[in-house]
Amino acid sequence: MTPSESIIGIRNLTKYYKGTDTPAIDHISLEIFRNEIFGLLGPNGAGKTTTISILSGLFPPTSGEVTIDGLDIRSNHEKIKYIIGVVPQEVALYPTLTGLENLQFFGNMYGLKGLELRQRIDEYLIRFGLEKFARKKVEKYSGGMKRRVNLIAGLLHKPKVLFLDEPTVGIDVQSRNVILEFLRELQETGTTIIYTSHYMEEAERLCDRVAIIDTGKIIAIGNPKELVEKNPEFKNLENLFLGLTGKGLRD
Amino acid sequence: MFKFFAAYRKEWLILIRDPAGLIVLFLMPMVMVVVLSMVQEFGWSTISKEPQVPVLFVNLDQDSVGNKFQQGLSEAKIFTLITALDSIPITEETARQEVLEGNYQIAVVIPEQTSERLRAKIRLLVSKTMTSLMMPDNDILSGVTNNDSVEILIYFDPAVRNSFRNAFLSATKEFNSRIESRMIFETFQDELRNLFPKFNMPIIDYQESVYFKEIFPSGVEEEILPSTTQHNVPSWAIFAMFFIVIPLTSSIIKEREEGSLIRLMTIPVSYMTVFMSKVGVYLLVCFIQFVLMVLAGIFVLPLFKMPALELGTNYFAIAVLAIVSSLAALGYGILIGTVSRTHQQAAAFGAVSVVVLAAMGGLWVPVYLMQGVMKHIATFSPLNWAHAGFLDLFLRGSTLVDILPEIIKLLLFFAVTISIAAIYRTLKPPVSK
Repeated sequence: MTPSESIIGIRNLTKYYKGTDTPAIDHISLEIFRNEIFGLLGPNGAGKTTTISILSGLFPPTSGEVTIDGLDIRSNHEKIKYIIGVVPQEVALYPTLTGLENLQFFGNMYGLKGLELRQRIDEYLIRFGLEKFARKKVEKYSGGMKRRVNLIAGLLHKPKVLFLDEPTVGIDVQSRNVILEFLRELQETGTTIIYTSHYMEEAERLCDRVAIIDTGKIIAIGNPKELVEKNPEFKNLENLFLGLTGKGLRD
Repeated sequence: MFKFFAAYRKEWLILIRDPAGLIVLFLMPMVMVVVLSMVQEFGWSTISKEPQVPVLFVNLDQDSVGNKFQQGLSEAKIFTLITALDSIPITEETARQEVLEGNYQIAVVIPEQTSERLRAKIRLLVSKTMTSLMMPDNDILSGVTNNDSVEILIYFDPAVRNSFRNAFLSATKEFNSRIESRMIFETFQDELRNLFPKFNMPIIDYQESVYFKEIFPSGVEEEILPSTTQHNVPSWAIFAMFFIVIPLTSSIIKEREEGSLIRLMTIPVSYMTVFMSKVGVYLLVCFIQFVLMVLAGIFVLPLFKMPALELGTNYFAIAVLAIVSSLAALGYGILIGTVSRTHQQAAAFGAVSVVVLAAMGGLWVPVYLMQGVMKHIATFSPLNWAHAGFLDLFLRGSTLVDILPEIIKLLLFFAVTISIAAIYRTLKPPVSK
């Protein structure tokens, strides 16, 4: 599938948190195309989560414009909630409820109910190898299982745009592989995926395009392979990332 | 509405998945009502009817004053008179020492010749009166001076509460007045008989003419006499209901810390729906707590020899007031849970503020005993509104219409607190970065 049409337009997006005079994101402008997997990469505190939070409608920007599927996020906040799906960095589930109860609840919150919801839940549980654990409490799940249910909860309403904030952090190789394969499949069905990660090898493998952000600014954007090719002194995306953002520790 | 019920189901499932927590939630308020009612029973009963306070009594007079005091204090049923320790009669020095050491709070000493000196003083007064009316009669005045004072000694432990000290003094003064009145009457009779022996006047027994009849304005007190339980159970029930703030704030902060709230904020569901689902579940919890506390008042307190709670007949008004009081407590809990950053903040502020609002609202010290600005401040506490409503229903026989002002204030408090919480959450999203 060839991405071409813009689904998210970001112009001069800036965010100052209260009590700070340094912007968390500083006049970011970019287009994200329909059906692409777009990676937001950057060290800790670069502005990735702030960008995703604004795009998800968690809080407004200080200035700048954002449109999602042609809708301005300030004036169409509620409509956009039906278009997007969000998979937060935290495992945003109720630990004392079962996986099934969590998914039923979040599905209900999107207005889904009855057989339609149950079929969708079953479909995803089978796809992620969780059907046998559906009636176990989430607090009894392994880290990988929690991450998989966390992902399903953001997909139940079949969003056009899916935001994933470090969806594979702290999980085993098998679970990561299942998630990444699934994201590819999801892209095939027409979903646009915006994804943040610290794993460069994973981003290189998965993303059609990436933007490397540091100190709230985009310092590189493009297809991972093309970015490496344009900078032959770096042998892969990770080297390029370290070259652009430096080797100093970030908090 | 569908989303509300789905959120309600979720809240309910979370609540029942913690059976130990649920037992604590229902059991602790019952325990609190029973224990604190028992503790407070002492405070009330010292000025009501149960003979609980031991009083050392030293009767050195052994005549009418001493004997009538002893009889009067015993019959008052407020005190248990102790005249001997280890079968040894108490002396004045022993009594003083026992009170000084704090072993007893009160000792009464009727000195020797008290009756005789009182009689002499009364005879002098009667004689003066008669003399001024009739003829001088100096025989009666011999050996008696006008300055003779009659003293009854009362030793108080400094730690004794002022209210109790005053109650005791009032009671002893009352006995003294009775004894003195009787003596004056009898002395007058004797004097008149001496002056007019040929009239053969009959001996008339002195009887008190004034009796105090307690009348309650509502007219229902013939059925429900105000007992300690009628005061204590509503007070502690309201106090316990407002402590729902602790589990409720915990539920809100947990949802935020676990990240579920962030997900909910990206889903097309309003904060109000999320809040109201919590209100729905915890309202049921509060109501069950209230019912259990009332049942404890009716069935458990009598097991400890305390009066049973009398509900009267206005069950509907009681239920309505319990519901709106719970709503006020829940609105307050949601506000604290929303603005607090951590469990520690919410628990500390929630618990302390409920205690302050209870004290301020007259749950422990009645508002009518408060002074100056505190009396005014009390009317701003939601616990005061709830308490006033319950006292009206339990003690004054009021109806739903009578407690409408309290109901409206509690509902407004709920509406304002939950609205502030929703606005705060909108303006300050729960995003950590």
